[in-house]
Amino acid sequence: MLIKVPSVVNLGLETIKVDIEINLANKGLPGFEIVGLAGKAVDESKERVRTAIVSSEVDFPQKKITVNMAPADVPKEGSMYDLPIALGILSSVLDFPIPQKSLFLGELSFDGSLRHTKGAFLMALFAKENGFVNLYVPKDSANEAAAIKGLKVFPVENLEQICNHLLGKIDIYPITYKQGKEEKTSGVEFDMKEVLGQEQAKRAMEIAASGGHNIIMVGSPGSGKTMLARALAGILPPLNEAESLEVTKIYSASGGIPPGGSLITMRQFRAPHHTASLAGLVGGGSKPQPGEISLAHRGVLFLDEFNEFPRTIVEALRQPLEDGHLTISRSKQRITYPADFMLVASANPCPCGYAMHPKKSCNCSQNQIQKYQKRISGPILDRIDLHISVMPVDATEFEGNQEKSEFLEASEKIRQRVIQARQRQEARFAGEQICANSQMKNSHIKKYCKLANDVEEILRQASLKFQLSARSYMKMIKVARTIADLDGADEIAISHMAEALQYKPKNFETA
Amino acid sequence: MAEAVETTDNKYPKVLKESLKNLIASQGPKKLYYKGNWSEEIFENCLAVVGSRHLTYYGRKATEQLVTECAAAGLTIVSGFMYGGDEAAHSATVKCGGKTIAVMPCGIDLIHPGTQKKLYQEILEKGGLIISEYEGVTQPQTFTYVQRDRIVAGLCKAVLVTEAALESGSLITASYAKKYGKKIFALPGPITSELSKGTIKLIKEGAYPVTEAKEILDFYKITPTHKKANKSFITGNTLEDKIIEQLKREPLKADQLARMFAVPVAKLGTSLSLMQLKGFINCENGKYYIN
Repeated sequence: MLIKVPSVVNLGLETIKVDIEINLANKGLPGFEIVGLAGKAVDESKERVRTAIVSSEVDFPQKKITVNMAPADVPKEGSMYDLPIALGILSSVLDFPIPQKSLFLGELSFDGSLRHTKGAFLMALFAKENGFVNLYVPKDSANEAAAIKGLKVFPVENLEQICNHLLGKIDIYPITYKQGKEEKTSGVEFDMKEVLGQEQAKRAMEIAASGGHNIIMVGSPGSGKTMLARALAGILPPLNEAESLEVTKIYSASGGIPPGGSLITMRQFRAPHHTASLAGLVGGGSKPQPGEISLAHRGVLFLDEFNEFPRTIVEALRQPLEDGHLTISRSKQRITYPADFMLVASANPCPCGYAMHPKKSCNCSQNQIQKYQKRISGPILDRIDLHISVMPVDATEFEGNQEKSEFLEASEKIRQRVIQARQRQEARFAGEQICANSQMKNSHIKKYCKLANDVEEILRQASLKFQLSARSYMKMIKVARTIADLDGADEIAISHMAEALQYKPKNFETA
Repeated sequence: MAEAVETTDNKYPKVLKESLKNLIASQGPKKLYYKGNWSEEIFENCLAVVGSRHLTYYGRKATEQLVTECAAAGLTIVSGFMYGGDEAAHSATVKCGGKTIAVMPCGIDLIHPGTQKKLYQEILEKGGLIISEYEGVTQPQTFTYVQRDRIVAGLCKAVLVTEAALESGSLITASYAKKYGKKIFALPGPITSELSKGTIKLIKEGAYPVTEAKEILDFYKITPTHKKANKSFITGNTLEDKIIEQLKREPLKADQLARMFAVPVAKLGTSLSLMQLKGFINCENGKYYIN
């Protein structure tokens, strides 16, 4: 007897339909085989399926069972095929039909219940595009799949329940999607108002969050760089609908959505340590997995102690910083993951860290300092829009000033301004492929950032005086555009351009 | 190509011989290798200018101001070609077209530190001199720096110490100068700075606290060529005027200025950028200075 149960395989973010063909033969010795490029986890599903069926008080058929996964030349990984394989066997034993236009996915527990399984969201997207209607997924994974409208997503608790359902004895009701509450972006540990002083750095953070600009902070230890970056997470605008789908896809593929989770609507804040491996950071492995840069897609990648990162890793960021995606090529497969992130880097000015400190003296030699700073290459610095130096704050600067609220704004208030600025950008770029100022290519700058003569003159003077590169010249325009957006202005004015120049690249040289 | 002058040569700098005459003969360099323009005049009125490798912004500004006027009046500025204080002195001299002598701690054919290749060329182009008592490409060593200092002090009538920590090469140069009976000028600095402790110590021990170039030139009995007009900035913009007023007192961060005048830092940043473009102020390591 031959039964077909449809499921899917996720190759990166791409989804392919897989037919699970189950044959129960009366001839031959009893056994259980899986063929069709099944990985280790798939092969092990034999034991889970056998035990789960027995736990559900059904006799496991003493027949020669062969499972084929077609197409047979695509490698399959993961535990998601437990449910379709078990259903195939049970449908032959209990004699129920496999419903039409349906897809199945789920990992089994020994007691027959279903566990949260990654990839449900990707399967739902695939189902929607390819005309499938019914999805049978574990209860914990049902909500994320239901985020795609127009599908019936059946939350399955255990094998017994789904068998009774397919036999027509009980009903499982399709789940209605519930957007979970994501109170804050991940990584928020500080409110902006907790950061004393650093007004200019905070302003730079506001600009960076508004336009999605990359930013680097240079300063002595203890000057508050990490705190500022953590506080930045709290002023990021929410993801728009399209961005939300993109991010959720990546997290679904990498198993980053928690049980019962829903669409990711907040920008992600990723802060990998500098001992992270190349594959961990940019993605990789023989079966390429998304790295931190992809998990930070549309969000923030915070690299603390930037010049402690190995050079190979930092240089690997160049291409994704420019293109917004990264293709991981392996001999067996090539997978492209989106990686359009906002880079937030922090660095010390010298090995001892005190080169810019007003009180402590630095005892590094010129040579050491140069070597240290050279660890960050020019091409990388050139791709960073905002450069700020963060000086340690003297506690005495604040005596009696604590209550001056205008200098201690709460994150939420700043965030409202950021959201408004982002909305202006989205309205302006409607119909384009981009949605933030930082993503503008030169053609966009020509189209959307016409400079009045006097504004251009300021920029021209500045580029002569401060020896700005051509790329920096363009970046100044982008930053000025964001400042104008924060100001609610349609045209870039002199004041916007002049402020942008505050954040120009500085070769963080010491006297 | 490097050439050499020996103690027995007539060309051997008289002032150096003079300085060393009371000391044991073996202490003087037997042979001096040199590159560039060797002439009698260049050794006539030498002023050694030495300072810390970690020169502060204040030290650099003061060096530029003093050295420029002295060099323009015809003094030869002698220093040790190290980065920081020495480099500031050489650069300022080269910039105003003055003559300068760089005494190297390494072999004559080596440029040390290598990062200052450009300055090295400029010194030679502007009629300056590179001197060393070591031949070929001898690497610098801890003791050669100290040996170098005695030549720097020996060549000059006076030494100006711009900034120095308590244990520093600059103080070694000063102690040589004292031994040779030279006049010592020291630049007064803030008592809170590590790099002022050395100069303050010198002042306490009798060095002349220098506040303008005229004091040095008076010692050499040279009248300054021209008095530099005091720059005045009148912007007609109240915020900019207030900023200039404040920066004249001390260098400040943008954050501090914003707090002081209670203006949003965005607005203040705009003013600071425009003032920078106009050349009124300058920014270094996050602090703003008056130009």
